[in-house]
Amino acid sequence: MDWIFLIFAGAGEVVGVMGINKVNKKLNLSSLGLLFGGFILSFIFLSIAMKTIPMSTAYAVWTGMGTVGSALAGMIFFNESKDWKRLLFIGMVLSAAVGLKLIS
Amino acid sequence: MKKDWNFVFIAGLFEIGWVIGLKHAFNWWTWGLTLFAIYFSMHLLIIGSRRLPVGTTYAVFTGMGTAGTVILEILVFNEPFRIEKIALILLLLSGVIGLKTITPAADSEGGQS
Repeated sequence: MDWIFLIFAGAGEVVGVMGINKVNKKLNLSSLGLLFGGFILSFIFLSIAMKTIPMSTAYAVWTGMGTVGSALAGMIFFNESKDWKRLLFIGMVLSAAVGLKLIS
Repeated sequence: MKKDWNFVFIAGLFEIGWVIGLKHAFNWWTWGLTLFAIYFSMHLLIIGSRRLPVGTTYAVFTGMGTAGTVILEILVFNEPFRIEKIALILLLLSGVIGLKTITPAADSEGGQS
């Protein structure tokens, strides 16, 4: 269950970063809502996950999920490059996260 | 430029601070410090990265956060030293830094902050 919260925390970070990009384009209530809602939920879920997961593992996976999620969202919704190097790095992050889960 | 890196460096220290706080805060003022550290690390990172390349800045920042939490939880918080865990965290960190470094900022809608 703690790992589910960690994945939610990563997803919240992705939403928050999308909010930053929207705020930079146009400052309105919905973009601010995405920004603050995303980050607040992200930190709450991260702190719940950390009750049982060691902080270095939780922090690394949280950063990884946020970065990979943002890259995937960029590729899927905003037509960003699907360069093989980006896919390789995404694969590295995901396999390391799965490995950390398996040894925990 | 040098001053900008100082901002990034201090941002990294506050990043380590809030990660510790999120796990170990136990009353109103430790939670207050944690929230302050979250705000301060983001704020300083934004100031620091104004004139520096975003990918490199983020790499230094996350690298500090990761290394700091790994080292401190072993030295201060009695986590066992496990080589396989550190190897996996390094693999994960390389992936994150790689992604952040090759993503051009202008091209990135959902990506860079």
